[in-house]
Amino acid sequence: MNKTLSQKLLGTWNTKTIVGVAIGAALFGVLMNYGGIKVTTNTSLTSAYVIPAIVGALFGPLPAGLAAGLGNVVADLLGGWGFWFDWSLGNFVAGYFAGLVGLFGANVEEGVFTVKHAVIYAILCIIGCALGFGVVTPFLTYMWYSSELTITWIQAWAAIVSDATVLIVVGIPLLFALAKRNARGTNLSKED
Amino acid sequence: MDNKFFITLVPGNTFIDKLTGKTKVRIFLLLIIILTATWDIRVILPILLLSIIMLISIKPDVKKNVAIIIFVILMNLFNLFLTWIIKPDYGLEMVGGSTVLFKFTDFYIVTAETMWYFLVRLLKFLASFLVSLTFIQSITPSELAAGLHSIKIPYKICMIVSLAFRYIPDITRDFTNIKISMQTRGLELDSRKSSILTRLKQYVLILIPLIITSFDRVGNIANAMDLRGFGKNKDKTYYCEHEDTKGDKMLVPFIIFLILLYIALVVYKAVYKAPFEVWAPWIQ
Repeated sequence: MNKTLSQKLLGTWNTKTIVGVAIGAALFGVLMNYGGIKVTTNTSLTSAYVIPAIVGALFGPLPAGLAAGLGNVVADLLGGWGFWFDWSLGNFVAGYFAGLVGLFGANVEEGVFTVKHAVIYAILCIIGCALGFGVVTPFLTYMWYSSELTITWIQAWAAIVSDATVLIVVGIPLLFALAKRNARGTNLSKED
Repeated sequence: MDNKFFITLVPGNTFIDKLTGKTKVRIFLLLIIILTATWDIRVILPILLLSIIMLISIKPDVKKNVAIIIFVILMNLFNLFLTWIIKPDYGLEMVGGSTVLFKFTDFYIVTAETMWYFLVRLLKFLASFLVSLTFIQSITPSELAAGLHSIKIPYKICMIVSLAFRYIPDITRDFTNIKISMQTRGLELDSRKSSILTRLKQYVLILIPLIITSFDRVGNIANAMDLRGFGKNKDKTYYCEHEDTKGDKMLVPFIIFLILLYIALVVYKAVYKAPFEVWAPWIQ
């Protein structure tokens, strides 16, 4: 099954994708609230950040971004601590990048995920987090709240480090496990 | 665990609960946009009062609400304290003046303007927090989806939102079950007994079954939706979206007023370029 570039960039959109993003967002919301360890105010070392990795591997980058972005809105609604749309958009960018690994030939649904893909994935995660939390979020925070940027920077750095750590340390073993589980026919050899 | 959450699944019977999702979403979004756009205490204070009235009017669970409000206030105070540590004279930039009230050292001073800025900021955050707290507790997931759709958000996105909320109770139940069963097998999650890294590794052991069970459902749900013809037509109506009630009709002028207020704020900001972001009564 070959996908075109635009399909790879946007993800394939059908009912399954919609449900996948919804469940991803719900998981993200729950894990944001319960599966984490607080680092600073507004940021925590949370296991939620593996969700974009999985949604991205299964459905593509845009679903991954949406799962992270909407998942953050869901988390805000669940936690009841008010909305932080600047962080949601930062999450969207970070999630989008984490989901881009499919562009480089990884296909977790079919069981294809090698060490090469893991390295590419790690690099993408760092770029995504740096761009999302280091550029998009501080910019939006400044635009909307014009609050002291130093604190946003501290939070942004905490977010970049903690989220990239989770995406890499927890995400890679998880992706390997999922790929192994989904591997179909990889142990078959062609008979002459 | 689920009773810690603030989502309501069953609509209540107060005035705000009975409104349509359309009205709730519009008022909520407008209030949040206005609060985000302004630093003027003359706008923030009435909205704060309004949000307190709204919160009380929906008769929420007092204990749960008081706990989260105290938590948010403390978190904000801590944030403000951090700001003060980094820049004690922040009021000079934001309000435009530095009347020293108290001096620790030459650098760590307490100025009236900084305190005024902190007060405005605290009220601003508190108001937007109370507005969203009221909103969460007065809207059901289906109404939220219907309301979002009424402001021309594609229904597939709305579907994602309502589906996500539909599956949160299921996921929390699975999460608790897996966590408890893993702990009975000797998984140590207590922060006093194991380090952050080991705990993070152990969370993977909970996460894998949780994620696999959750994503295994995707196929079933998607098939069920496809069988009922989801995504066949360009548009979709919502079962929970009822006709406008008396309250909805009453609130139309209020919504128009909020839109006008927002436009006025933006125009005022563009035309009359205030030298400083935060207005204070004693600064000209």
